[in-house]
Amino acid sequence: MVAEYHYHSVRAKEARLARALTNRFVRVLIGLIGFGLIGLGAAFIIFKDPVAWVCLGCAIIPFMVLFWIKNELTRIPIGKHETINDVLSGNSLSLLGAHPTPQSLVGMFRKTKSGVFMMTRFGIREDVLASIAGQLTQDINPVFEKALAIRKETNSEQINGGILMVALIECYPEHENLLKQMKMEVSDLHQGIIWYNYLYGLVAGAKAPRRSGGIARDFSFGFIPTLQRYGKNISKEREVAAKTQILQGARQEIINKMVETFSKSGRQNIALVGPYGSGRTTIVNAFAEILLDADSNIPSNLKFRQVFALDATALIGSAKERGDLETLVVKLFNEAYAAKNIIICLDNAHLFFEDGTGSADISNVLLPILDAGKTRIILEMDQQKFLEISAKNGALANTLNKITVEPANEEETLKILQDQIPVLEYQHHVVYTYFSLLEAYKMSDRYIHDVEMPGKAKILLESAASYAENGLVTEKSVQMAIEKTEGVKVQVASNEADTSRLLNLEELIHQRMIDQVEAVKTVSDALRRAAAGVRNTNRPIGTFLFLGPTGVGKTELAKALSEVYFNGESQIVRLDLNEFVSASDVNRLIADGAEDALSLTAQVMKKPFSVVLLDEIEKAHPQVLTTLLQLLDEGILRDAKNREVSFRDCIVIATSNAGAELIRQYITSGHNLADFKDQFTDNLISSGQFKPEFLNRFDEICLFKPLSKEDLVQVIDLILNSVNKELASRKITVSLAEDAKALLVERGYDPRLGARPMRRIVQKTVENLVARAVLSGEIAAGSAVNITREQIEEQLK
Amino acid sequence: MMAFAMLQWWYTRGWKIFITKLIDKLRGAADFFSISLLIRTLFAPFKQIDAGGGGDSLGDRLHAFGDRLISRLVGAVMRIGILIFGLILLILESVVGLALIIIWPFLPLVPVAGIYLTCTGFSLW
Repeated sequence: MVAEYHYHSVRAKEARLARALTNRFVRVLIGLIGFGLIGLGAAFIIFKDPVAWVCLGCAIIPFMVLFWIKNELTRIPIGKHETINDVLSGNSLSLLGAHPTPQSLVGMFRKTKSGVFMMTRFGIREDVLASIAGQLTQDINPVFEKALAIRKETNSEQINGGILMVALIECYPEHENLLKQMKMEVSDLHQGIIWYNYLYGLVAGAKAPRRSGGIARDFSFGFIPTLQRYGKNISKEREVAAKTQILQGARQEIINKMVETFSKSGRQNIALVGPYGSGRTTIVNAFAEILLDADSNIPSNLKFRQVFALDATALIGSAKERGDLETLVVKLFNEAYAAKNIIICLDNAHLFFEDGTGSADISNVLLPILDAGKTRIILEMDQQKFLEISAKNGALANTLNKITVEPANEEETLKILQDQIPVLEYQHHVVYTYFSLLEAYKMSDRYIHDVEMPGKAKILLESAASYAENGLVTEKSVQMAIEKTEGVKVQVASNEADTSRLLNLEELIHQRMIDQVEAVKTVSDALRRAAAGVRNTNRPIGTFLFLGPTGVGKTELAKALSEVYFNGESQIVRLDLNEFVSASDVNRLIADGAEDALSLTAQVMKKPFSVVLLDEIEKAHPQVLTTLLQLLDEGILRDAKNREVSFRDCIVIATSNAGAELIRQYITSGHNLADFKDQFTDNLISSGQFKPEFLNRFDEICLFKPLSKEDLVQVIDLILNSVNKELASRKITVSLAEDAKALLVERGYDPRLGARPMRRIVQKTVENLVARAVLSGEIAAGSAVNITREQIEEQLK
Repeated sequence: MMAFAMLQWWYTRGWKIFITKLIDKLRGAADFFSISLLIRTLFAPFKQIDAGGGGDSLGDRLHAFGDRLISRLVGAVMRIGILIFGLILLILESVVGLALIIIWPFLPLVPVAGIYLTCTGFSLW
């Protein structure tokens, strides 16, 4: 039976022996014995004693043992058969007892590198493993069988501790539920095994000797003093750096194309066109490494060529006069041509083709060089710049051999991140979990818009290192990093305060606004869904249309949401759409932030986690409303520079007074507003005030009813609370007699204006009274004042 | 068991591994001394110091030819020097390596030989 383990097999014995001998102390001891015997032999020779031959003869044994340890025992090769004894890694095999049980496996995981890797990267705890592991000897065979299957599935050479751990988990009947609790799936664990194998391969590859031409490699090539002064020799840097791993697929194809272009006759230039972060520089690095690799399979006319990067900004900065730059560039290219082994790489090449701050148009110099096609050149630029240069200088664009570098997809990005993790971990002294990588992809894809994959995911992972807990970068660290850097809120409510706040949203909102129970509930439900993670993340958190007369709390509810949900009234982006009444106003809506800081897109770019309040939407031009459709639908709006601006973490609230009179009439006639909603919406459509496709885009249409006199009494209490807050520093408390409130309501009530007149009347009466009393010294600090109806009447005269 | 396992390995995989390592080492040394490159470019101009070429006049051409000739000569001398040094080292390494490959199977017998010599009272003096 292939899964049956034999403790006394030759390989198992060898593994146990290896465990004993691969200890550094033992190895040093063996070496010392060897040298000791040689020394002893030498001493006996001096004393002319024939025992010297035994000593010298036996001295070879320790060195033979050391050779055996180094070349065999440190990594025992797999056996010839597919049995568990033949494919278990030496380390795992050495740790297995005579009668292993799943339970005994648990204890050995932390003694294997792959076991520790899986535990750390996936947050798998030993006690969890112990709780699911069987106690009986016969329970081990299914685990080994599963491990053999996983080995095949993951294309692993050996079965290591990590594979045994995954097999143990998969043998647990309830493993799917268990993994769900740990927020993962079996496929994630398999990916973890593949990742470990990959890193293991990298380490093995790094130990392999590199051949890169030797001491006389550059003898046949020219001196390059100017290039050495102004350029950066990428090849020299890569010669000693860790090898860049280029994954099979799109990026490997690009490198093949580069090799093909430079090895054949024709114009020897390549324009690597791709967005920032898409990995153009990594491709150039990998290309430079291939050229210097004596073992690489490339044409001999490319072998040992070196890539020199010229920094446009530094070159432009070093030229005092306009003509100096041209002279310098010509000199550099002449040098490269004469040297015969130089490939020039112009990063941000567009800076050489446009006039402006930090750039200089020297296309008159570069075009003939490119056109002649004798000097090998790589130009890096983004798509937009390439299009601009093409439009300006068609001849130049035709001269270039364009290779497009597309942003990496999810699979590629994760592979690239897995490849880069060792370097990041070394630089930041942290350990990244598997899920931090997934989260970095997800979060950066969603919130970082000016850099492309894989660059943005890597940038986020680097930022997340600052939020590591006990040196471990987890999903939470990534979320915290994106929250701090992009000003968004992505973490699901976790602490008690957050949970309590969300569960009591209605109560909190009603602390600052009266009635409108239905509207408040609708909005609160939407926010709770968002906070619990139960929402479509490809849309805004919520989109609401608030309809009702003026002064009933529409704007106040938006402000209350901003304060309660986004922790401050400042997290509100407010646009009065009565200022967007012509078709051309669309441009102002999506203007670039550099030109109009108050455009909708510019403000949301700065505050991606906010309430977007679109006041008086009915007054906006239809073209403006059409522009807003995509925002409401997909949570995305493209600005004037065609950048995607995300509204997916915003609550979008549009307010309108449209149909206010109708609402008032309906309420006055004693009807319930909820029953009127559909009829009211139909009325808005049939009257042509809103198009159905626009109204359909909102999650909810909330009708706000006019405030009654009873509501206004509560409004007065709210206003009075705010007055008392202002006076709190003087320790003065103001209260109003009930009949005084009734009088204020009587005088301030205007069904058309809602609560708005109430603030004015309270200001005119209560605030004036208090102000006078404070100034005249009638009210001293620490006193409480009760204002009567008579005093109010006096003020209103 | 340990001695048996080691001896078994010594005469099978161990021998192969030793040969592979020796070949790797020789390849590494050949690369370090750029042997194949030096042979291919033995008379190429050193550091391209003639790359500027010359003008159209006969004098310029002669001057460029002279430069090129000197450059090639300098290059050839340097290359031949390194080549000779590198080849000597390579040959030495190869000879030592080959000798080790040949005596490899006899190495485990060295202790036995030592015991034998001691028992027979063998002496160099």
